[in-house]
Amino acid sequence: MRVSRASGLVVGDWPARPEVTALLEGAGAVLAWDVLADDPVPAARIDDPARAAEWLWEIYGSAAEEILGGGTEVDVPAAGDWRVRAACRTVAQLDWAHAWWPASTTAGVPALDPVVRQAERAVAVSTVEHLLDDQDAVSRALAEVVSFDTPDAELSERVAALAEDHGVVLSPVVPGRAAYALAAGAGSSAGTTVLTGSSIVDWTLVPAGVVDAAAAAEWSVVRRQGATVLEVAVAPGPAPGPRLAARFDEIDVALDEIDGLGRLTGSAPVPATVLLLPPDRRVVTVYAPDFAAPTEVTAPAPGAEASRAAIIAYARSRVGASTATVTERTAR
Amino acid sequence: MLPRGLVVAQAWAALGEAVAPLSNGAGRPLTRTVKLLLDPLVLRPVQHPEFAAGAVAVEHVDALRAMITGAGPVLAATASWFVVLKKERRRLRITEGNPQDLYFQRCFELASEHGAPGPDAARVAAPVLAEVHGQEGPTVAGLRGFLTDSANANELTRLIEATWATTTTPRPAPAAAATAEFLATCAAAPDGALFLALVAGSAGTAGAAELSTPGVALAHGLTDRDRPARPALGESASKRNLPKPFDRSILERLFAPLTNTYLRSGLADVPALVRQEITRSAGPWQLADEVSRVVMVLGREASAGLTGSSAGGAAARLRSRWEREAYVHRVLRMPSAAPPAVRADVHGVREAYLRRLWVRVHGRELRQDAVTAEQVWDVLDGVLRSVILDQRDRLRSALEREAGA
Repeated sequence: MRVSRASGLVVGDWPARPEVTALLEGAGAVLAWDVLADDPVPAARIDDPARAAEWLWEIYGSAAEEILGGGTEVDVPAAGDWRVRAACRTVAQLDWAHAWWPASTTAGVPALDPVVRQAERAVAVSTVEHLLDDQDAVSRALAEVVSFDTPDAELSERVAALAEDHGVVLSPVVPGRAAYALAAGAGSSAGTTVLTGSSIVDWTLVPAGVVDAAAAAEWSVVRRQGATVLEVAVAPGPAPGPRLAARFDEIDVALDEIDGLGRLTGSAPVPATVLLLPPDRRVVTVYAPDFAAPTEVTAPAPGAEASRAAIIAYARSRVGASTATVTERTAR
Repeated sequence: MLPRGLVVAQAWAALGEAVAPLSNGAGRPLTRTVKLLLDPLVLRPVQHPEFAAGAVAVEHVDALRAMITGAGPVLAATASWFVVLKKERRRLRITEGNPQDLYFQRCFELASEHGAPGPDAARVAAPVLAEVHGQEGPTVAGLRGFLTDSANANELTRLIEATWATTTTPRPAPAAAATAEFLATCAAAPDGALFLALVAGSAGTAGAAELSTPGVALAHGLTDRDRPARPALGESASKRNLPKPFDRSILERLFAPLTNTYLRSGLADVPALVRQEITRSAGPWQLADEVSRVVMVLGREASAGLTGSSAGGAAARLRSRWEREAYVHRVLRMPSAAPPAVRADVHGVREAYLRRLWVRVHGRELRQDAVTAEQVWDVLDGVLRSVILDQRDRLRSALEREAGA
């Protein structure tokens, strides 16, 4: 692995994009795996070599000494006791899944069970507690656990034992949150459709799980009773979320209804001049106003679509895979 | 040189299954095993500086291993006692406190005195549990009872008035203190003599000189008032909605430290605690020890880099951690548009930092655990970490509330 000192001490190749990055914040160093790369050895950014030295051997074995001692190219041995590193990966992987798991009915990626994720994360955190930046990480992780009841008997047993060791008593079952109340829409619209299109949803503009990760936002411009109306619809994901809106050129449409297909939908009057927009500006940007604001650049970054497809394929491959976390394996 | 963590992990692994209750899922000693057992009771770096955290020189490695191996039997017995105590705890339906915090050292004592638990283990464990959980120590109920008893309340209110009436505004130091010099190296090589000089020269008190000027304590994030006012005695407190530090009542100041079973045991009794707190509230920075005040001044200086330009040393380190947070937010897919309820925290990071730092050093004063020169960086760094994690929690829960709306 390459060790670079050009801007801070960096080991290996740092993952290029946030949505493929599984991150672990250790004491004095941050570790990152590219989830698509299938490499058990993470990249590291070392901020405080003295603190990181205490545990970096758990990640790089004998190469840790060379990394901290000024080496520029190191070989990480394959053989060794990598249980702590594997637990680091589990924590990082679960945090990645929490943020980026592309649950999608359209693409056949089942949703993760938050109960399993929280339990598995707490257990993994307890194995790497000693090297984490957050010294209260176990209590913090246990505070999120709402139930010991997971489909994996061993996991259930371990998280219950962990909670007992830390004197954590589960708060009574949290009442299920009512899903975001949406009015049923007017159904299929009358009128003449003059322009239609679809735009992919930028994942960074909506919280995880709120929109079907693989579905595009469909839009149409309809002429109805002398007026021009923009209609937008997008398939929801498994998680309830904050209100959504869609921006088309400079027009905002609140997606506060549900259409006959169960899609989140909304419409707004638009000036007839939208029909004159050049094709590259006929783009709908779906976003959650309480979460993120769309940027000026409405066109998706080049390669974004391929990257999303790769992540969706990766997630699909994790369901049922023996090497995946329990959370991913048991998603359905 | 070898990382101490590596040497300890190897020696620990050789102790085998017998110490599993003190180990984590990967067979390493638990963080609290190191903090509460290995460090203070086995390795004792105070007597054996060569075993201190960090790197261990090759010539000391064998001695360190031998130390742990030698303690094997007592550690194995400690582990067994821990299992016994947990079982008794369950039987007695005790849910208070963190068992590792509360029992580890007790188990070591039991192991040293009795060896491994025998057939009478439950009988031996019972009084230990009773003692740990029936511990004297002040309680929230005791505190509230004392403060709301009208006989005390009148006297204490007069005491607050009298104490505050006699306070004088500290004078600024004639010459700038050497805080920048200390901060330059405190992370890697803290200068103990310089720290003592800052304390001896009352740099902390002098640094509080402007806090009573209108708007200054407010800008520090320590109060919502234009000028700090004397605190009320207080009748109730809730962990969720505590006011800013200088606006807290005496009850609110003492409340949080008393809710932790583990930390409570070392505190003074309620009447003494309350009187000390009244005196403390009238002191510079509303703190009692010069050491704490110096830490506040150091924190104020180091945190200036979070929002402005940073000098090197501690300020630069804090700055780089804070800058990293924007990246972490993107990786964790955190909201980039902060909801209004959280916006103040996100933008007022320095104020949040100083508030958290005040709470930290205040808690240490109560436990009479003064910050040492070596610990200053850990405190300054730990406070930012805690502010950052708290902010993430707030962003997440604000979003969840939106989702449930």
